[in-house]
Amino acid sequence: MIDIHTHPVQIAELHDADPTLGPAVRDVFGLFVKPQPLTTYFAQLDAAGIERAVVLAIDCTTAHGCTIVSNDQIATLMGMSERLIGFASVDPSSSTAADDLRHAVSAHGFAGLKLDPALQRFAIDDSEQAYPVYAACVELEIPVMVHCGLSWARVGRSALAHPLLLEQVVHDFPELRVIIPHLGWPWVNETIMLAVKHQNVFVDTSVLFSGTPSDSLRHVVENVIGHEVFDRSMSGQVLFGSNYPRVDPKRAAHAVRELQLRPSLEQKIFSANALRVLGLDGKDAR
Amino acid sequence: MTSIVKRFGITTEHDTQLIDITGRVRELIAETGIKDGVANVMTLHTTTAITVNEGLPDLEDDLLELLADLAPPERPYRHARFLHSDGQMAVNAPSHLRGALLGMQVILAVEDGTPVLGSRQTIYFVELDGPLFREAIVHVHD
Repeated sequence: MIDIHTHPVQIAELHDADPTLGPAVRDVFGLFVKPQPLTTYFAQLDAAGIERAVVLAIDCTTAHGCTIVSNDQIATLMGMSERLIGFASVDPSSSTAADDLRHAVSAHGFAGLKLDPALQRFAIDDSEQAYPVYAACVELEIPVMVHCGLSWARVGRSALAHPLLLEQVVHDFPELRVIIPHLGWPWVNETIMLAVKHQNVFVDTSVLFSGTPSDSLRHVVENVIGHEVFDRSMSGQVLFGSNYPRVDPKRAAHAVRELQLRPSLEQKIFSANALRVLGLDGKDAR
Repeated sequence: MTSIVKRFGITTEHDTQLIDITGRVRELIAETGIKDGVANVMTLHTTTAITVNEGLPDLEDDLLELLADLAPPERPYRHARFLHSDGQMAVNAPSHLRGALLGMQVILAVEDGTPVLGSRQTIYFVELDGPLFREAIVHVHD
């Protein structure tokens, strides 16, 4: 089982080594709880039945003067456990962003790129700033996770994270694997539209707006999307994501199990689809 | 009056878990040097509890099962929303309610530097929303 979506912003070891991380997590990411030891993070994955997890960086240098967390910190975590799969982040507002990504992937073996337009304050469809980064992803054969929908960070601007802004991007980069987290909520229909049309568009299950993860995901899957759409048209494109630490992985995983999907579909969501989007089906990678 | 507070940490490993802390409490009381008085063993969290019961695995399972029955996960709790002061989803109402049922502390008499306990009494730290790193205190005064 793979969790495609965790933010290692609560790891005490990272906070202890970097006093600038706490203010960035609090003031920009908007998380106000105490750090926990890395062992607790792994125990939480264990409690959810998660074997491996993607740890995401976010480079907000231009927008907020910080990273949450940095590529080097992600690399440090990867060095601590083979359970962790690192996604780099670069700042699309920087003219060196594409080269920064090439260097980061070459140096650390990151398996993907994380972008958050709501926090990083860039235009998803900006051909001058963002397109070179997408081109680098294609060249490096890595997926990009682009935050779409509600941004819980107070300084986040969800208007910059509308999934329809990705339509031109996926048209112009047909080989680019794009992960839309949170099923794009509240723009679920727009997200599903992209996914049913483009097979390189993936979604993750971390829908969190009100109620338990089970409440939110059941509402979206049963009332908005429909089980049958997942099964018929997107079975290879749905990924399990918890969005830790916005919610506990155990409850996020329970939400998917409670949907009582066809077992073969649940297996794809929990594992096979992630292996495919990460390029790990048939090979190992960090 | 002498009053000493000893803090200690517990790394829990499961969602719900009873952890025998009797030995730890004995050690911390002894460290205070207070021979005769009162010890208050208290958790610093609202989704954990402190309780005393007979230290048997079957009773531990029965207790956790009873708590799950009394505060089941599927009820439409109000505490199921984004908690802005934390920046996290607050979706653990059953954990809070189970903790409320058991209570946050136990009070023990201290005699000759040791807690007065019956032969079948075990002091438990009860995890109700783990796994997490937790903290508790032993407050001893004469």
